[in-house]
Amino acid sequence: MLKKMLIFSLLPFLLFPLSGCWDNRDINHRVMPISIGVAKMDEGYKVFLQIPEPSSESLGTRIVTGEGETINQIIDNISVNMESAVDLLHVKVIVVDKRLAEEGLNDLISGFIRSRDVSAKAVIAICDDNIDQFFESMENAEGGEGTILLDYFEKYSGWDPHVALSRVWEVYRSSHSYTRDVAIPMIKRGQTTFLEIVGSAVIKNGRLVEVISSDETLLYNAFNNKSTRGKIEILDDASVMILSNDTDYKAEFTDQTPHLQTTFNFSVMILETNGNPSAQDIKMNLEELLLDRYKALIVKLKTSEADILGIGQHFRKEIPRKDLKNWRSDYYPNLAFNPIIQVDIQNYGNLKHTTN
Amino acid sequence: MNSLIKEIKDSIGDNDDLFFTEHQLTDLSVVFIGLNSLVDLGPSIKQLEKMGQKNYSSKEKLKQISQLGEIKRNASEITSLLLEGKLMIAISLNSDSVVSVDPVPVKLNRAIDQITNENTMLGPLVSFNEDSLTNIGVMRKQLLSEKIRVKHFRTGIHHKKALSLIYYEGIVEENLLETVVKEIKGNSKSDLYSLQDVTKMLGITPYSIVPRVKTTEIPSEAAQSLLKGKIVLFLDGLPFALILPSVFIDMFFLESDKNLTFPLMISLRSLRIAGTLIALIFPGLYVALVAVNPEVLRLELALSIAQSREGVPYPAFIEIIIMLVVLELIMEASVRLPKSIGPTITMVGGIILGQAAVEAQLVSNLLVIVLAATTIANSTVIGVQNLISIRLLKYIVLIFSSVFGVLGILAGVFFICAYLAGVSSIGVPYLNFKHSKGEGNNG
Amino acid sequence: MDRSVQVVMMYILTHLGLIFFLYPSNIIESTDQGHWIPISLGIVIHIIFVLVYLKGLSFFPRRNIIMIYSSFGKVYLILFLLPIFLYFISAVTITVRAYSEILTIIFLANTPLWAVMALLLFIPFFLAIQGVQAIFRTGILVSFLFLPFLVFILIVSFQNVDASYIYPLWNNDFSFMTKQSYINSFFAISGGFLFLGFIQPEISYKHKKIVIAFAAVVPAFILSVYIPLLTFGKATAETFLFPFVLALDTITLSWIMFDRATVFFLLSLITFIMLFISLVLWKASIIIHHSLPSIKPVYIVVSLTFVIYIACLLIPNWQQVQMLFKWNSVLRFYVLLTVPLSIYFLGHLSKKKVY
Repeated sequence: MLKKMLIFSLLPFLLFPLSGCWDNRDINHRVMPISIGVAKMDEGYKVFLQIPEPSSESLGTRIVTGEGETINQIIDNISVNMESAVDLLHVKVIVVDKRLAEEGLNDLISGFIRSRDVSAKAVIAICDDNIDQFFESMENAEGGEGTILLDYFEKYSGWDPHVALSRVWEVYRSSHSYTRDVAIPMIKRGQTTFLEIVGSAVIKNGRLVEVISSDETLLYNAFNNKSTRGKIEILDDASVMILSNDTDYKAEFTDQTPHLQTTFNFSVMILETNGNPSAQDIKMNLEELLLDRYKALIVKLKTSEADILGIGQHFRKEIPRKDLKNWRSDYYPNLAFNPIIQVDIQNYGNLKHTTN
Repeated sequence: MNSLIKEIKDSIGDNDDLFFTEHQLTDLSVVFIGLNSLVDLGPSIKQLEKMGQKNYSSKEKLKQISQLGEIKRNASEITSLLLEGKLMIAISLNSDSVVSVDPVPVKLNRAIDQITNENTMLGPLVSFNEDSLTNIGVMRKQLLSEKIRVKHFRTGIHHKKALSLIYYEGIVEENLLETVVKEIKGNSKSDLYSLQDVTKMLGITPYSIVPRVKTTEIPSEAAQSLLKGKIVLFLDGLPFALILPSVFIDMFFLESDKNLTFPLMISLRSLRIAGTLIALIFPGLYVALVAVNPEVLRLELALSIAQSREGVPYPAFIEIIIMLVVLELIMEASVRLPKSIGPTITMVGGIILGQAAVEAQLVSNLLVIVLAATTIANSTVIGVQNLISIRLLKYIVLIFSSVFGVLGILAGVFFICAYLAGVSSIGVPYLNFKHSKGEGNNG
Repeated sequence: MDRSVQVVMMYILTHLGLIFFLYPSNIIESTDQGHWIPISLGIVIHIIFVLVYLKGLSFFPRRNIIMIYSSFGKVYLILFLLPIFLYFISAVTITVRAYSEILTIIFLANTPLWAVMALLLFIPFFLAIQGVQAIFRTGILVSFLFLPFLVFILIVSFQNVDASYIYPLWNNDFSFMTKQSYINSFFAISGGFLFLGFIQPEISYKHKKIVIAFAAVVPAFILSVYIPLLTFGKATAETFLFPFVLALDTITLSWIMFDRATVFFLLSLITFIMLFISLVLWKASIIIHHSLPSIKPVYIVVSLTFVIYIACLLIPNWQQVQMLFKWNSVLRFYVLLTVPLSIYFLGHLSKKKVY
């Protein structure tokens, strides 16, 4: 019993000196950037950190930049020069400039995954603008409480089905996967709003190969069964709001050619009409509009050999693994894609719909 | 003077409350010996006179007197009986024997009172008091069964204390009863003043963070423990029952919960378990999240904590230790202080902890919330002893978490689990899962 | 007293702790497609050997394997118990070293390795000196506290799963069986069940009830591999050291007050590992106690812990840990094969003698 007592009394003495041994810095002594911008220079990188400044009244934003050979070196340098140590644990948005994206994101992304500092859930975006000015404008942006950029991409605040939401792990996956690429949002400074969504960048094996518009991004999201609820489509004679969507796939593989029949079901609600079109007309027009867009999107993607829709996923069963490696170059361009759009007008709002 | 009376006088010694009163009991002259602090002499004599009113010859009277009580000849035995409050009747100052009778005692016990320390909802309000015989009576009233067995022991050399043991014949675990009786008999020379002495006598280590003997002042709780095969001890002078063995679930399960419906009972009990976990984990969690693993916090929360900690001069661990110590002091002070000054402490504590410390940027305001949550949650545990154990155990988690962050919290909890698993008293492990399930088959 | 529940829980917890960190990457690395084949092969081997072991033990009621071997003479003791002992020591060393490295990689970047190793050894040591019953009781308490977490996280871990990654299902290539990474995966398969033969006189249990534990462990084997596989795909998942950890990193739960809620899952697995280490320490100590009965078990555990801690400090890097895994596999297979079989045959032998 005395022995047990001895162990107990020794325990605190063993642990007390430990707690001061390594740098466990308190939260207020860490600088926690919310977003990080990376630009490719002629030699090395330039890094922008957007840091919320907790002061007693409100949160301000501060932008710190640094240049150097590698990201970690730059962060380290910034750390040295700042009053507290930089901690990338809370980075939520990563903005890269277009040039870097064109040259390839693989090193950057695998660096993030490797160190596990930056969360694998951080959103990645491409800045189609002068990234210096982009970050500068953030410092002056009103409100936002330091999380302005983040709010654009949070599902529960500012996200919209027009925006392709891709996280670090998805980009990493695309650079390794045989059959899956990603689209990441492209942003620039807005005229009246803080930023403007240009469209989405198609990333193939970690490199930017194509840009698709916001409308096409919507289809991308619908294809991946992400909710497109709330999106408003304008037709010649009416505008409708998408209430829900769901997608069915039927994949066939014959004669070394993949066939994919995709059925998109959209439920919409009529918002405004121009004249008095019949429900049938609205439905037809909408189906046609979406179908054309899909076809155009597929053509675009096929030429760039980037499979952001993950079509190759549906053929994993049929194509042996060693051939799957060449899915993008050998099979994807021959894809026979047959989209079927079905629109269902769920309701007409508060007004009764009368045809003529 | 006769040797017996002299011996008595010598052994009790120089006590002014010892009386030797000669008295005519009807027409027989006797000597009453007793302690007037324990014996109310006047009424006692009256009672005795009532008994002997018939006219008998003096020889018959002697016989009659001897029938009033027991004849004692041993001086040391007589001394201890006197100390218990018995009245001795001697025929003369020279007689070699005395008769010990039960007199009318001086009222030294308080009446059976309401529960003071363990308030219950929907439970009986009667509580135990300092007199062990009264307590046994209360217990008998709770369980009207011929299978209740009461055993009396007297222990101590300098200080003869009555220790009573109650169990339920047939349900009690034989091994347990055997060990307890053996330990009590084997250590009958140890003086018992406190709970620590009792545990020591029973061969249980006093170096234990969790209570090895459950105490309760609620008779129904004690009665239910009997039905579960446990043993109840009463030490004269302690106003609560000592229940052996104490097990883990006593922290959360109260018998009076069963006066509620089953779902309500379950939710109350799980609330207590949750409260204990919160009390154990929250301080550690605060330190872990603020100092070691801020990435676990949500961004918004992290920023607001950073904001509120802006300007706090010392690390989170020191910050929380300071505040915890102040809080413990307030708790202890409010127990100690008379009821009339108590509110002052509450008010001063409230102002200092709640307001001033934050405004002076000595601590962050989240910490105050954490402390409040901890203290409140801590109080959901049943029993004063358990409350204090949890109060102490949370520091283990706190220390671990200040070193290893969130891992430290889980390691600390694991460590506490390991400690609890290793505890056993009188052969019954503290984490005795059988008891919790065995409730049904005791009917 | 029947303590089957405690034994079953212990079996589940120690296996869960062993499975989720190293096993997935071993399996994913071992083959390109049809990962269920190596998984089920491992599971089948596991179940067969556990059943053989239990059958063998049932010939010797209320005796542990030390008693069994010693009743057959010194040769058996040296032939079987010595490798078992060595296996235990190396298993604890590797486990402590590997898991503290894992912790510093994924979680405690600032904490020095020696401190994490000290923690991973000190708490199991504290538990081991309290004896086997305390270990099993801790198991029950820990499972009450942490298993709900685990079940919850396993459910939400399906969030980013893409079922198409399950294809191609079949694989004609069975070369994985000779790959080092597959052999390493037996660390999780063979590591945890030997305790069933050690606990007998103190903790009695019904052998049939262990089968219940398979129902919990088998899904864990499968999920630990398939969740990362279905989240990332094989080509990506094989680049990770701890695929399951990263698969959990991708989970977004916006309604929980913690950002990386999955760390709680990983860390509760670490407590299961502590349970495993304390169990192995205890087993090793009773083997020594059997051969040197004069030394108090407490001192044995103290010195074992100390030796293991020194050994852990001497392993400089992850490369060396991998090496140890390789060397350890010889012992691992020796123990996996010989112990259950020898107990089984000795059981038959003693049965014949009786008749």
